[in-house]
Amino acid sequence: MATLVILIVFALFLTAIWTGGYDKQLLNRFRSHWLWDWITTVDHKKIGILYLIGGAFFFIIGGIEALLIRIQLLVPNNDFMVGDTFNELLSMHGTTMIFFVAMPLLFALMNVAVPLQIGARDVAFPFLNSLGFWLFLAGGILMNLSWIFGNAPDAGWTNYVPIASNEFSPGTGIDYYVLGLQISGIGTTMGGINFLVTIINMRAPGMSLLRMPMFTWTSFVASSLILFGFPPLTAGLFLVMFERLFGANFFDVAMGGNPVIWQHLFWIFGHPEVYIVILPAFGVMSDVISNFSKKRLFGYTSMVFATILIGFLGFMVWAHHMFTVGMGPVANSIFAVATMAIAVPTGIKVFNWLFTMWGGKIRFTTAMLWAVGFIPTFVMGGVTGVMLASPPADYQYHDSYFVVAHFHYVLIGGTVFGIFAGLYYWWPKMFGHKLGETLGKWHFGLFFIGFHLTFFIQHFIGLYGMPRRHFTYQPEDGLTTLNQISTVGAFFMAAGTIVWLINIIKSARSAIPAGNDPWDGRTLEWAISSPAPEYNFAQLPQVRSLDAFWFEKMEGNKKMIPAEPLGPIHMPSSTHWPFIMTIGFFISGLGFVFRSLEVGVLGLILVFLTMFIRSFEQDHGYHIELDEIEKTEKGANA
Amino acid sequence: METEVQQNQAQQETDPTPESAVKHLLSFALMIGLTLVAFAAVMLEVVPAGMVIPFILVLAVIQVFLQLFTFMHLDLKNNRMTVTFVMMGLIIGAICAVALFVLG
Ligand code: HEM
Ligand SMILES: [Cu+2]
Repeated sequence: MATLVILIVFALFLTAIWTGGYDKQLLNRFRSHWLWDWITTVDHKKIGILYLIGGAFFFIIGGIEALLIRIQLLVPNNDFMVGDTFNELLSMHGTTMIFFVAMPLLFALMNVAVPLQIGARDVAFPFLNSLGFWLFLAGGILMNLSWIFGNAPDAGWTNYVPIASNEFSPGTGIDYYVLGLQISGIGTTMGGINFLVTIINMRAPGMSLLRMPMFTWTSFVASSLILFGFPPLTAGLFLVMFERLFGANFFDVAMGGNPVIWQHLFWIFGHPEVYIVILPAFGVMSDVISNFSKKRLFGYTSMVFATILIGFLGFMVWAHHMFTVGMGPVANSIFAVATMAIAVPTGIKVFNWLFTMWGGKIRFTTAMLWAVGFIPTFVMGGVTGVMLASPPADYQYHDSYFVVAHFHYVLIGGTVFGIFAGLYYWWPKMFGHKLGETLGKWHFGLFFIGFHLTFFIQHFIGLYGMPRRHFTYQPEDGLTTLNQISTVGAFFMAAGTIVWLINIIKSARSAIPAGNDPWDGRTLEWAISSPAPEYNFAQLPQVRSLDAFWFEKMEGNKKMIPAEPLGPIHMPSSTHWPFIMTIGFFISGLGFVFRSLEVGVLGLILVFLTMFIRSFEQDHGYHIELDEIEKTEKGANA
Repeated sequence: METEVQQNQAQQETDPTPESAVKHLLSFALMIGLTLVAFAAVMLEVVPAGMVIPFILVLAVIQVFLQLFTFMHLDLKNNRMTVTFVMMGLIIGAICAVALFVLG
C-alpha cells in the first residue's frame, strides 16, 4: 500500500515536471530565491562553502554521538546508553566522522584552494563537482535518517560480516549504512576524478608540476588514492547489499562463501582512506608552516616524493588491520615490514616541517598554532602506529583502547587539526573576512588540551586491558578514574568547538574586510581579491617560480604578470540537474532500504532520465564581458 | 617542464570532434551489448555449462580493451599521464588480486 502511494506521488511528480503543467509563477519564484542559486551553482568556491556547511553539520552530529558515548563510560556499570543503542552510537560516530566530516571538510578546502593555487578559472568538470557534493549530502542524510526510522547501523564503522548479515543484524540498520555509503561514495569518486583532471589540465602557464604548492600536490595524490581506493569499497558494499537484500551468499561459509573477503575489500579501501584524509592535511600544514615562517618549504622536492611514496605504499599495507585474523606468519611479516616502511616518508615530512620553521620568522597566528600543535600530536600517533605494526605486539593491542588512542591521534591530531588550520588560513579567501584571532586561540587551546586529555589516557586504558566498542566496565577493573579524565577531556573539545561556532558568527557579524593578502602569502590564491571573483583570475597569471606570488613580490612586483590580454571570460552555466539526479539516487536508496524494489528502481530510472537529458542538452556556458570584469576588478582594488 | 605545460594547453584546445562522439556512442553500445550477452550466457543456458565462465572471461577481456582505448583514452597521442595512471591501476589491482588469491 505504502509502495503504491509512493508510486502515485512519484508518477504525478514526473508528469508535472515533464509536461510543464505546473504554475509558471511558482517556478519563477523558485528561480529567484537565493537558495536556488546555491542548489544550481557550479562555482567551485560556492561548492566549497556548501561542503563546509555539510561537513560542519555532520561534525556537530558526530560530536554529540561522541559525547553520549563518553557519558555512558563516565562511571562503571552505567545504564545511560547500553547494548544496541551504544553500538549504534559508536558505529554512527565512526562512520559519520570519517565519511561525512573528514572527507567533505577536506573537499571544502580543496574546492576553495586548489583551482586558485594553480591559477585556474574553474575546475575541469563543474557539473561533476556539484553532483559530487549533492551525492555526499544525500548519502549522509540517508544514513542519518536511520535514527528516525527505526534502528541505526550497529556493526561498527568497519561493518564486519557476519555481524552485518541478516542473521545477526535483522532490521534495516545496516542497509542504511550500505546504501548511504554507496551513494556518497559515488560522489567522492567524482570529486576525486574532477580534481585529478583539474590539476593535470588546468594549470596556469608556467605552473609546472614541480611549481605546484604542496596543498595542490597532496590533493592530487589523495585524489588518485580516491580513484583507486573507492572501487574496492563499492564492490564490497555491493556484495553486502546483494547478500542482505537479494539473498546472495558471498560471505556464508555453509554456501561456499568467505566472510574474510569483506575484511580484505574493506581494508584495501580502508587503509588508503586514512591516507586520503591525512595527505591533504599534510598539504595544509606545509603551506601554513611555510607561510607563517616566511620561508620556502624546506626540501620541497623530497616532500613531493614522500607524498607520492606514501600514496603508493598506502595500498600495500591493508592487512595490518587483520593481523589477528590468522593469515599466517609469512603474510603478517610482509605486511608488517611494508607498514613500517611508510614511517620513513612520513618522517621525511616531519623533519622538513621542523627545518622549515628553523630560522624562520615565525608568526603564531591561529592557523600556525594548529600547525605547530599538529606536529608533536601527529608524531605520537605515528609512533603508536609503528608499535601496532609489529604483529606480536598487535596481538596484545588489537581491539583495545590502545588502537582507539592511535587512530584518534592521527585523525584528530592530523586531519582535524589540518582542517582547522586550513579554515583559519583560507577563511578570508572564502568570505572576505578573517575568523577572529582571539577566539581562535581559545578554540585551539580548549580543543588541544581537551584532545590530549581525552585520548592520551586512552593509551593506558587500552594497555590496562579495556577492549574497544564495549559499553561498560566494572568498578574493580581500576579504569574508573582514567575513563572519567577522558570524558572530561571530551567536554573540553566540545567547548572548543562551540567557541569556533561563536567565532564564525561573531566574525561574520562584524565582517571586517581582510584585504586580498592578509597573511603576506606566497601562493597564487593571495594574488586575487578576497573573496575571489567568480572568474578567479581576470587574466591568467604567468608563473615563474615555486611560491609564485612571493617570487613576484621579491622582484618588486605588486601583482602577478599576466599571461594573456584582458578579454571576455567563458563560464559554465548553473544547472539544476545534479540536484535532481541526486534526488533520484536518494529515492532509490530509501526504496532499497525499505525493501521496496519498485521504489528503488524508480529512483534509478529518474537518475538515468536526468543523465539522458543532460547528455543531449546543448549548453555552451556563457561569457562574462569585458566591461563587467573591469568593473569587478576596480571594485576589488578600491 | 616548460614544454609539458604547453602540451597541456594544446590538449585543452583540441575540441572533441563529432567523430569521437560517434566512436564513444558506438563503443558504449558495444559494451552494453557485451554485458547483455554475458547475462544471456548464464540465464538462457545457450552456452555449454563448462564453458560459461571462460566465455564470460573472454567477453570481459574484450570489454577491458574497449574501455582502455575509448574511455581511458589510451588511443590518444599525448597520453603520458593516462598511461601512468592505467599502469598504477594495473599494478595495484594485480597486487590486491594476488594477495586475495593467496590469503582469501
Ligand atoms: C606511521 C604510520 C601508521 C602506521 C604504521 C599505522 C599502523 C596501524 C595499525 C597496525 C593499525 C591496526 C591496529 C589494530 O587494529 O590492531 C592501525 C589502525 C588504524 N589506523 Fe593507523 N597507522 C599509521 C598512520 C595512520 C594514519 C595517518 C591514520 C589516519 C589519518 C591512521 C588511521 C588508523 C585507523 C582509523 C585505525 C583503526 C581502524 C579500525 O580498526 O577501526 N593510521 N594503524
Ligand atoms: Cu591502516
